[in-house]
Amino acid sequence: MRRSLRSWLWRVPIEREVDEELALHAEMRRQEGRPLDPEAMAQVRRACIEIARGRERQMRVTQWLEERRQDIRFAVRQLRAAPGFTLVAAMTLALGIGANSAIFALADAALLRPLPFPDSERLVMLWERRADGTRNAVNPVEFVEWSERHRTFDGLATVLAGGGAMTNADGTTEQIDGQAVSTRFFDILGVGPIAGRTFQAGDEAAQNRVVVLGEGFWRERFGADPAVVGRVLTMDGQPMTVIGIVPAQMETRALGGARRVALWTLVSNPPGREPAQRYAHYMRVIGRLKQGATLEAAAADMNMIADAIARESPATNRGHGVAIEPLRDALIGRELRLTALLLLGVVSLVLLLCCANVANLFLSRMMARARELAVRSALGAGRPRIVAQLLTESVVLAALGGAAGVALGAAILWIAPSIIPPGLLPTTVMLGFNGRVVAFCATAAVAVAHMFGLAPALQATSRSLLQGLGGRGTTAHGARFRTVLVGAEVAVAVLLLCGAGLLLRTLVMLDRIDPGYRAGDALTAIVNLPMTSSPDAMRQFYAGVEREIAALPGVRGVAWGSGVPLDGWWYGQSFQIVGDPPRAQADRDNATYQMVSASHFSTLGIPVLRGRGFAAADTAEAVQVAIVNEEFVRRYFAGREPLGMRIAVNGMRQPPSAVVREIVGVVGHVKGSPDQLEPDLQIYVPIQQNAWWSATLVVRPGSGPATALVPAVRAAMARVDKTRALTRIQTLDEIERGATARWRFRAQLVGTFAVLALAVAIVGVFGVLAYSVQQRVREFAVRMALGARRGDVLTLVLSSMARVVVGGSIIGLAAAALASRWIATMLFGVTPLDPVTFATAGIVLGVAATVAAAAPTLRAMRVNPAIAFRQD
Amino acid sequence: MAAKTPNTLLHGSLDALILKTLAAGPRHGYAIAKYIEGASSETVIVEEGSLYPALYRMERRGWLEAEWGESELGRRAKLYRLTRQGRAQLAAETAAWLQFVAGVSKILLAQ
Repeated sequence: MRRSLRSWLWRVPIEREVDEELALHAEMRRQEGRPLDPEAMAQVRRACIEIARGRERQMRVTQWLEERRQDIRFAVRQLRAAPGFTLVAAMTLALGIGANSAIFALADAALLRPLPFPDSERLVMLWERRADGTRNAVNPVEFVEWSERHRTFDGLATVLAGGGAMTNADGTTEQIDGQAVSTRFFDILGVGPIAGRTFQAGDEAAQNRVVVLGEGFWRERFGADPAVVGRVLTMDGQPMTVIGIVPAQMETRALGGARRVALWTLVSNPPGREPAQRYAHYMRVIGRLKQGATLEAAAADMNMIADAIARESPATNRGHGVAIEPLRDALIGRELRLTALLLLGVVSLVLLLCCANVANLFLSRMMARARELAVRSALGAGRPRIVAQLLTESVVLAALGGAAGVALGAAILWIAPSIIPPGLLPTTVMLGFNGRVVAFCATAAVAVAHMFGLAPALQATSRSLLQGLGGRGTTAHGARFRTVLVGAEVAVAVLLLCGAGLLLRTLVMLDRIDPGYRAGDALTAIVNLPMTSSPDAMRQFYAGVEREIAALPGVRGVAWGSGVPLDGWWYGQSFQIVGDPPRAQADRDNATYQMVSASHFSTLGIPVLRGRGFAAADTAEAVQVAIVNEEFVRRYFAGREPLGMRIAVNGMRQPPSAVVREIVGVVGHVKGSPDQLEPDLQIYVPIQQNAWWSATLVVRPGSGPATALVPAVRAAMARVDKTRALTRIQTLDEIERGATARWRFRAQLVGTFAVLALAVAIVGVFGVLAYSVQQRVREFAVRMALGARRGDVLTLVLSSMARVVVGGSIIGLAAAALASRWIATMLFGVTPLDPVTFATAGIVLGVAATVAAAAPTLRAMRVNPAIAFRQD
Repeated sequence: MAAKTPNTLLHGSLDALILKTLAAGPRHGYAIAKYIEGASSETVIVEEGSLYPALYRMERRGWLEAEWGESELGRRAKLYRLTRQGRAQLAAETAAWLQFVAGVSKILLAQ
């Protein structure tokens, strides 16, 4: 017998082997008359044992690999022999793993991966924190003061929306999205140029008109021509010199905003120290913490500075502090993180369901193979060996499923960009199929294999040899295990149905909301004027464009506004009611502030409840007027006549200053966003009395689709000023749909998974019931032979199913009641314990389970005792 | 160790001697040591502290394999036998040794 074989068949302990060998040696030496030194022999013994141990290990590894190879070959043969089972099981797993891989990509991007900047954990965003704890954008004086006094940052930078109308070589103009930043912006992010340079000190001082382009824009427009650096572009009618190109990832991963940023300019009026600038809160500020500085240290540092500023300028800054948060959190946002977690939870449950079903399938197969397993164990294969072999089958199956799942995941991610609503993912979050997703799938496959494989394998090998060889592969134990499995499936399906139901009900509530305007299909577009335009020039432009468009055929109404309803974005201004106790600027309340043309209310169908709307007579020189919404009246003029009251409200102008305006009308409330719970305060002023460089054009068509008007509107505007461009062209309907897109997205996705879960669970119910009926054919036959009627058999079958379904449903509903508060922030107009939703989920499952039970039950009722007894 | 002062074996040459010894047929550890001592006219003494670790190491490398057999005393003895790999190793070591001896000789016998 060869030693290498013997060593693992009989496993003589190494120590005994060495001792025996050395004892013989010592004996022979003694006979020879040269006895050995015991101390030296002990040393030899130790050395030999050590080497022999290494040899054993080596052999074990080789043997293990050999066994795995055999197992895999065997598993493949087994799976090939049952192609139907293999296909169903692998497809079930592929579904689960594929869905998981796609959601993992989202969660990975939203929860795990750092921002794509060097040492990105040191990047933070800074806000002004008002006395009531809310966050506010930073004003330019604060930005200067912070920049001068901070001790915990490598530097601060500000970033604003920017860009402008670029005049092409053929004379046409086009709006290009960009950002206006302070000089150190790129340095702080740690982004270098791929050609030319980025901004440097001195660029802003000389009012140097310089621009940095993004790589993608540079490739598309300029064919990646390096000579573009140094070339002069015409932006907003002004010459701008290109000084450098920055890598493409800056364009899509620029800070905030859902759209690509193509170019960067310097903040146009460099932050100054004029006191009036303290009223203008519009800057977003980012910073890079010094090496080793903590967020807490930075917060302490900045709040000390804020306190000092508050002492120096109490009127504007009293009680104001500084809020700091990691840039990653600021950009990715809580909602996205919650959504990612929700979806991750949902798909994991779906995967668990798939596992349960495959485990069930496996179990049936094990029962069918009971005899084979028994023979193998009779031939000397130990239980661990057989379990290992069965597990190998699971792993091979999971590998098949995993590979198909990877393909499915890749496909989902490929089409994902077209189904994910814009704005749900900040541009910093890039969804992509990558190594991490593949690694996730591989891990999931292995985990899943053990989840669905281990229980059946243990189950199948737990039976005694006698039972197995004895033939009929039915055990009460196996049946109970399968019943529990299916009950769990039902519970999970009910849980997911409840979640999906709550999200769907939320969507319905949102769609039913009265937005406060009636316009339907209307065109909106943002028009930006050069920021340096004089108020007169702006007034003339707005009036002229409105006149030209109103004269177009097919136009029913045209108006200017600032922002559009449901877009979720407005200007805010603080105000003071004249006659009420005066308050310092820092303590005044804020209202949304809109500069609109006279036709605004009629064009958008916003009802004027009292007084009048604006008129052509409300010119710059006339009495300064304002219109407020009903909520404003309710909160500030309780019992007082609002018409004729005067309010002091800051205007949109540089430098900002308060203007006293007379209230001439009250209008209905217009929702700022679809999920707004409390109506907010709204102040409207005539655009002729406060012309600002950015405005929203609204055009309502007489007939036909609004989008058909775009060319005519463009031409009409060009007749007034051909350097202007329409940007962000969208219809009100589109805005409305976009506003609810994230709710729709969540509801649809969770709904889809819930349906999937329901289907999987129902297949499970069907499988178990069909199997148990098959196993009990003989029993039913006996009962019938003894006089039971078909109705009794029906009751028997249905009651066994009802136990599982009702039990599972109750557990599922209880779990849903516990879990639904986690998604409370994603609900609107529905309580987390909405009885309608819960009842519906239970009913849907009950109906589906009944359908699934129909076929097996019929089969049980058709049992013919005469035939059943003849079967074996 | 008593009477004789053992010659120090040059590093690595013990392996070659063991391989050569086993080329004639399986032996147990004591017999291998005895053979080397006898064949070298007792100029080479093999110590247990080197012999057994060497045997285990060579077994691990796959040059030798072991089996249980009968010893002269009628006791169970662990017999070592050369494997195919071991035979190849013996050839390689012999060649290396000859080269080494030729090189050293050139220096020592230089006129």
